[in-house]
Amino acid sequence: MEPMLKIENLHASVGDKEILKGINLEINKGEVHAIMGPNGSGKSTLSAVLAGRETFTVTEGSVTFKGMDLLKLSPEERSWAGLFLGFQYPIEIPGVSNVNFIKASVNEHRKQKGLPPLSPAEFLKLMREKMSYVEMDSSFSSRGVNVGFSGGEKKRNEIFQMAMLEPDLAILDETDSGLDVDALRIVATGVNRMKRPDNAAIVITHYQRLLDYIVPDVIHVLYKGRIIKTAGKELALQIESKGYDWIING
Amino acid sequence: MVKPNFIYAPALEKEFRCKVPLKNTRQIFVVNGSVQGAGAPLSLRIEDGQAMDKMLQIIEVRDSGSPLELSFFEKFEFGKGSSGKIVQCSHTFSMESFRTSEKVEISLDENAAVEFIIMQNEHNGAYHSTDFNVRLAQGAVLNMVFLSLHGGVIRNNIKVSMDGEHAECNLSGLYLTDSEQLMDYSVELVHNVPSCFSRQLFKGVLDDKGKAHFDGIIRVVPDAQKTEAYQANHNLLLSDDAKALTKPQLEIYADDVKCSHGATVGRLNEDELFYMRTRGIPAKEAKLLQQMAFTYEVLEKISSTELRDRMQSLVEKRLRGEFAHCRNCSKNCC
Repeated sequence: MEPMLKIENLHASVGDKEILKGINLEINKGEVHAIMGPNGSGKSTLSAVLAGRETFTVTEGSVTFKGMDLLKLSPEERSWAGLFLGFQYPIEIPGVSNVNFIKASVNEHRKQKGLPPLSPAEFLKLMREKMSYVEMDSSFSSRGVNVGFSGGEKKRNEIFQMAMLEPDLAILDETDSGLDVDALRIVATGVNRMKRPDNAAIVITHYQRLLDYIVPDVIHVLYKGRIIKTAGKELALQIESKGYDWIING
Repeated sequence: MVKPNFIYAPALEKEFRCKVPLKNTRQIFVVNGSVQGAGAPLSLRIEDGQAMDKMLQIIEVRDSGSPLELSFFEKFEFGKGSSGKIVQCSHTFSMESFRTSEKVEISLDENAAVEFIIMQNEHNGAYHSTDFNVRLAQGAVLNMVFLSLHGGVIRNNIKVSMDGEHAECNLSGLYLTDSEQLMDYSVELVHNVPSCFSRQLFKGVLDDKGKAHFDGIIRVVPDAQKTEAYQANHNLLLSDDAKALTKPQLEIYADDVKCSHGATVGRLNEDELFYMRTRGIPAKEAKLLQQMAFTYEVLEKISSTELRDRMQSLVEKRLRGEFAHCRNCSKNCC
């Protein structure tokens, strides 16, 4: 069976600076992969490149997602194809209400599938259901996207959007950063609830604590733009106690 | 003198179906500068203590029979403790190069409360310059919203005189340009007495080779202590050739005041755009959402939900470029 996502020898740069220096990664349906690594190793760059951020230039390599050449698609086409990026720092959009934003998003996805827009009642029902996944209050809907949200609220909003869009592959970029224990539990519960045999997730994190809640099948260590180690979930505990040095210098 | 409770039958009804008239509005048509084209300029007085029961819409019309050089004059007097809502719309109905020179006088006596909305929607060959002279007496409150949606050259020279203590004036404006349009706003707001409040918010979205000028000054005279006066002008450039010139100024001669001014000229935020696109919102729609969000801060000053929704949908059509599709039409979908 073809993997859902296949990254081969991926190189990417900003200006003259090469950040990704040959990434190879395969993810199958039903799997959860964690990517760990020290600051500046290229974790966020990898997620941004996969989502289609134009500030990065792919200089070599390929990415195949569900049989498609992912790198040829625009960010919106990647979203329609079933890719979702949960941002490390979700963007605030003053003046665009959370409800209008997610409605535009959901209806655009439906349009691409040849489905009519949801009726206001259907939309409301869906939204209520998915907001409950992350214990989000309905007062969030009328507020500007992420405007005045706390760190935890922003991350819950990311997971709520993910629940609305039901992606095949979710990339969660340091979703745990800035979360207290309660928010972490809520976010992780939301993510686990969406896990199905036919979807997959990449969880990017610094810390082992998120992996207590979202248990990965595989852990990769990214360092200086390359994956230098791949192992099972027990690797997270070793990193937590010994740091990265033993892997980097090993 | 026009009686405010008089409904003037639209003279141009057969060719003009204005979609703005909303439930509970009255309308007066000003044709070629006079009421119903009958020679007398519009002069309206709301008597002391009177509350206008319905919003009054004043529809200014230029048509193929109109002279090319037009003078409009309108006078609005609001007596003590009176209140009212006025919507003044300016249209061109044929493609002649009309040049309109207009004077609008608005005075509010003690404790009058007025909302005044100006909607300008003319074709690319039209030139329209208006002097607004506004005076507020003690305790009067004026909310004024300018919407310059379309027009070859639109100049609004706004002079406001705060003449009585505890008066409050909110000026908000939105101007949209494309092709080679020019929107030129100048504002002179003078605090002549202590303890008044004023707030200005002017925003523009400029595309193609569209240009905007904003020249605004707040003047606080030596004795006008406890003045609060704020001014902001923000411009969004959508193309490399669009231009905004902004000149916010403060002249303060009193020492116990709260005043601020600020101006920005910028582009659509790339981070917001990418974020929306990763959620499947196509770039073009995402940019439109950003522009609508930018304009909403002005539109939300319109208190009537129905009128606000109507204006918002006009702004959206305008930003989607739908007006520009009708090069040979003068009505701009209004």
